[in-house]
Amino acid sequence: MNPFELISPQLAILIGAGLILVYDAIFPKDNRYLPWMALAAIAVSVSFAISLAVRGEYHVGFEGTYSVDKFSVFFSVVFAGIGAAVVFASMNWVDRVGRRKSEYYALLLTATAGLMFLAGARDLITIFIALELSSIPQYILAGWGKDERSGESGLKYLLLGSIASALLLFGMALLYGLSGSTFVPEIATFIGENASDNRSLLILASTLIIAGFGFKMALVPFQMWVPDVYEGAPTPVAAFLSVGSKAAAFAVVLRIFFEGLNAEILSNDWAMIFAVLAAISMTVGNIFALVQSNIKRMLGYSSVAQAGNFAIGLAAIAVVGQEFTLAASAVLFFVVAYAFTNLAVFIAVIAISRHLESDDINAYEGLAKSAPLLALALGIALISLTGIPPSAGFWAKLYIFNAAAQADLAWLVIVAVLNSVLAAFYYLRIVRLMFRNVEDQIGSAPFAIPKSIGFVLGITVLGVLVFGFFPTPIISVAREAAAIFSIG
Amino acid sequence: MPVYFLVTEAGVPSISEGILWAILGIPVFAFLIIFGLRQRIPELTSGYISIGAIAATLVLSIVVLFNVIGADGGIAIHTHNWLSIGDFDFNLGVRVDGLTAIMLIVVTSVATLVQIYSQGYMHGDPGYRRYYAYMSLFATSMLGLVLADNLLMLFVFWELVGLSSYLLIGFWFHKPSAAAAAKKAFIVTRIGDLGLLAALLLIGTRASTFQIDAIHELVLAGTLAGTTLTLFGLGIFAGAVGKSAQFPLHVWLPDAMEGPTPVSALIHAATMVAAGVYLVARFFPIFEASPDAREVVAWVGAITVAIGALIALVQTDLKRVLAYSTISQLGYMMLALGVFGYGAAVFHLFTHAFFKALLFLGSGSVNHATNTFDMGKMGGLRHTMPITFITFLIGSLSLAGIFPLAGFFSKDEILAEAWIENRTLYGIAAIAAFLTALYMFRAIFLTFFGEYKGGEVVPEEDKNIHFDGIPSVPHESSRVMTIPLLILTIGAIGAGWLAFGRTFHEFVEAALPEPPHHVVPFSYGIAISSSVIALSGIATAWVIYQKKLIPASEIYKTAFPFARLFEHKFGFDWLYEKIFVTRVFQQSWNRLIEQFDTRVVDAVVNASGTIVLVFAQGVRVVQNGQVQLYGVVLGVGLIAIVIIVFIANPL
Repeated sequence: MNPFELISPQLAILIGAGLILVYDAIFPKDNRYLPWMALAAIAVSVSFAISLAVRGEYHVGFEGTYSVDKFSVFFSVVFAGIGAAVVFASMNWVDRVGRRKSEYYALLLTATAGLMFLAGARDLITIFIALELSSIPQYILAGWGKDERSGESGLKYLLLGSIASALLLFGMALLYGLSGSTFVPEIATFIGENASDNRSLLILASTLIIAGFGFKMALVPFQMWVPDVYEGAPTPVAAFLSVGSKAAAFAVVLRIFFEGLNAEILSNDWAMIFAVLAAISMTVGNIFALVQSNIKRMLGYSSVAQAGNFAIGLAAIAVVGQEFTLAASAVLFFVVAYAFTNLAVFIAVIAISRHLESDDINAYEGLAKSAPLLALALGIALISLTGIPPSAGFWAKLYIFNAAAQADLAWLVIVAVLNSVLAAFYYLRIVRLMFRNVEDQIGSAPFAIPKSIGFVLGITVLGVLVFGFFPTPIISVAREAAAIFSIG
Repeated sequence: MPVYFLVTEAGVPSISEGILWAILGIPVFAFLIIFGLRQRIPELTSGYISIGAIAATLVLSIVVLFNVIGADGGIAIHTHNWLSIGDFDFNLGVRVDGLTAIMLIVVTSVATLVQIYSQGYMHGDPGYRRYYAYMSLFATSMLGLVLADNLLMLFVFWELVGLSSYLLIGFWFHKPSAAAAAKKAFIVTRIGDLGLLAALLLIGTRASTFQIDAIHELVLAGTLAGTTLTLFGLGIFAGAVGKSAQFPLHVWLPDAMEGPTPVSALIHAATMVAAGVYLVARFFPIFEASPDAREVVAWVGAITVAIGALIALVQTDLKRVLAYSTISQLGYMMLALGVFGYGAAVFHLFTHAFFKALLFLGSGSVNHATNTFDMGKMGGLRHTMPITFITFLIGSLSLAGIFPLAGFFSKDEILAEAWIENRTLYGIAAIAAFLTALYMFRAIFLTFFGEYKGGEVVPEEDKNIHFDGIPSVPHESSRVMTIPLLILTIGAIGAGWLAFGRTFHEFVEAALPEPPHHVVPFSYGIAISSSVIALSGIATAWVIYQKKLIPASEIYKTAFPFARLFEHKFGFDWLYEKIFVTRVFQQSWNRLIEQFDTRVVDAVVNASGTIVLVFAQGVRVVQNGQVQLYGVVLGVGLIAIVIIVFIANPL
């Protein structure tokens, strides 16, 4: 099979990015079609990815460094969907900023393609390059806004991201130095045979890699950038960071740690790291989110806390050992549920902030009166984030807690449940504010939201509800995708 | 064309599954349409949509009933796997058997009549559409509750029923008393629901199934036994105590009368409050197998019977008399279940639904004419409101247990069951039967006999709402209200005749996995003595309140301590409010929250403020520190992790 066919989904998106730039160069005046071109590229990409899966073309290409399997197809489709949602969410904002529209979409597409490469990469070098391919456009996008804060956040993200990349490279270099290979399956073979002799160095390497990806995941203590960047960056970009970039980091960590570093002597250690980081991230994220008055900062800390929830799954996988597909599928399901939920929250916030011209949570008071559907959508999404049935977020939490309980991580489940209660305070506070009956005040006049935003908000909220009522299809898909680890 | 009356397999209802889901689904659609379109549809249309939906489910319920009759009360279960997590299956399924079929008929028929009646009663209310939306929501929840084939689904609908009850009690939410009553009902029933939830978790962990039939099988096989079984039974019963307003959680029901009267008739007399009885009946094999749990059910029932009847004696508000009477009658049902009287309990549930709904709607009709529920302001209405009077009288006779009305048959059976099982319980039930006749006829004599005392003057701002007449000149209600009364009267008279030949009982008993523990034969001794008891109760009321041979005030003075006790409802409200609500919750809980606020939240706020201040002194620009700080945190965190890993797990 032609190896380029394996990466056809990514190629479609990259070609789309190129076409957008070319089109803009030829017709600089006519930029109405740019977002639709981006969407078309994503649609083609998804169809390629699905066609690979439907035809059962699961292969390894480029000398083993890139793999098309159920896992990578799963994530490719998720990332493409996230990319499409962010394009929809950006349209209105990009029009208002009004400059270099083509570059914005091209960068967004490139970042999406980078994430998709990450999902299938099986070689440390490929992984690193894919990571940079997705990161660099995100640095630029974070600084895309006109105001100073956006530029500041872009620069912060770049500087701290570079530190994280450096740490990641250190870790990878250590692994290479020990095993003599950058190829994940070969590292796995090496570790299977020599783990006990090199345990301390391997732990150091694991920790460095966790630090590198923990940055993207927004796990404590690598989360410092999150609230600043979420607050400063354009909201659609923040949505992309909080959903796409984070999910990709989890995908890669699953790949490296469960395909490469899954020797029992080692996995107990890094599982413990994940468990502790999960507990700390949830607690720190929730406590800080509790006292925020700016909704974007609050979402930043909420994103930290949610990263902790994800990490529960990582901790559970290793402890269960051979039976880790349960926890892996829990992480995958969480990715989907979280993607829909968090996108819905961000998109609703985009629409609301656009109207209120404020990110102050208190300005949301009485929103249900002026924009009932919008308030309802945000309410549903926040309920899902809290983990209340019948929403996708409920099953995601239940599933991942169940995996942890089966892995004898009772203490972590208790911490997580207590944290859920804590999180309910600040998520539901917004719901309560919105539905509080207030006398006419500023911003209570009914307002319309742009069609593109309304459309994608509807889709994401529908997803939250549909997967809340019928989680089974996604769970079975997640199980199949996670099954690639079951040989381990 | 499908012929639903044919039974394909012996003993199994052949009703198509779609019909069962339709019964559940049609009111949902009505709810969504009315709620979604609210202001866009005319008021009356919203009523028609809701009534049409509930009438359609009534027709389907009748089809189901005949189908189950055709199958000799057999059981049909259609279940679908909704979600599996690990080995655990969450199912969505419907179950139909004799018990379900009867409940469906009770719920849909009473709901249909009440909704028709409401067209008159709610006429002109600004919340007319909202009312019908909630009514449809309630119908769905209640039907889902009785159709559910597993405990989890049942629990979900159970909570939905609680929610719709909350919404409807607080329907006139601008009235503080209504809002408070709604809250009280919601919270008090939630206490019982905690027990049900515990039962749910218990059965989930011990039996790994929520399927009702599977749980029954485990009980019959003896796998589920001993303490677990008793605890499970008590948990189930706790839920029932809350929902069916049994002692000691009965306090919410009288307050719930703040809701519109048709709501009281449907939810707080005929259907929802019977859900607790249904729940215990549904899990009857558990109570059969666990003597301890059954004993608790019987005694709680008996205490409730007595308390309800005694408090009803001294109420001055017509609707509250009926509310306490409902509590007392629900107590009878629980008592019956506690003495193996499954058939008797369900039968009483069935007959009670008709005559109690009739009485409530009758009180609503009276309210419509007089603008009050205070019996001290009524009197003599038998002349001005003949239809209301006759139907109310028949309902009261039925409730008092006068032959050959419905209540006679069902109450008599409960007494007979109690007689066999436990004479003390029989004694309580018999005395309460006397009190029942007494308080009902006290109400009748005060309301419909004597001189009219003028009703309640309508405040200017309430003009045209629920009241279209002049209270000083009461008049009979319109036909949309009296016709449901007349139809319910048929049930209040004849529903009991199904007792002949044990027709009803054999039908509902087929829903049990095993034949009933014992069959109590009709006993002339019990029947005659209970008739005498009821008649003497009526006679006593006649002597005191009509002939006034013994003035009520004299009795009041003589029995002053007792009367005070009844008037203060045995002090339950006082106890709960003063001790639990004020002391425990408002004071302790507030203190806790306050401490949390000052110690934790404020500390975090201050700390984060300090951190920002310390680290970012006047610095918002990139170059001057923050990024370095972030980098430092990242690096220090990393080193800390490595150190901790090596300390925790040395090489």
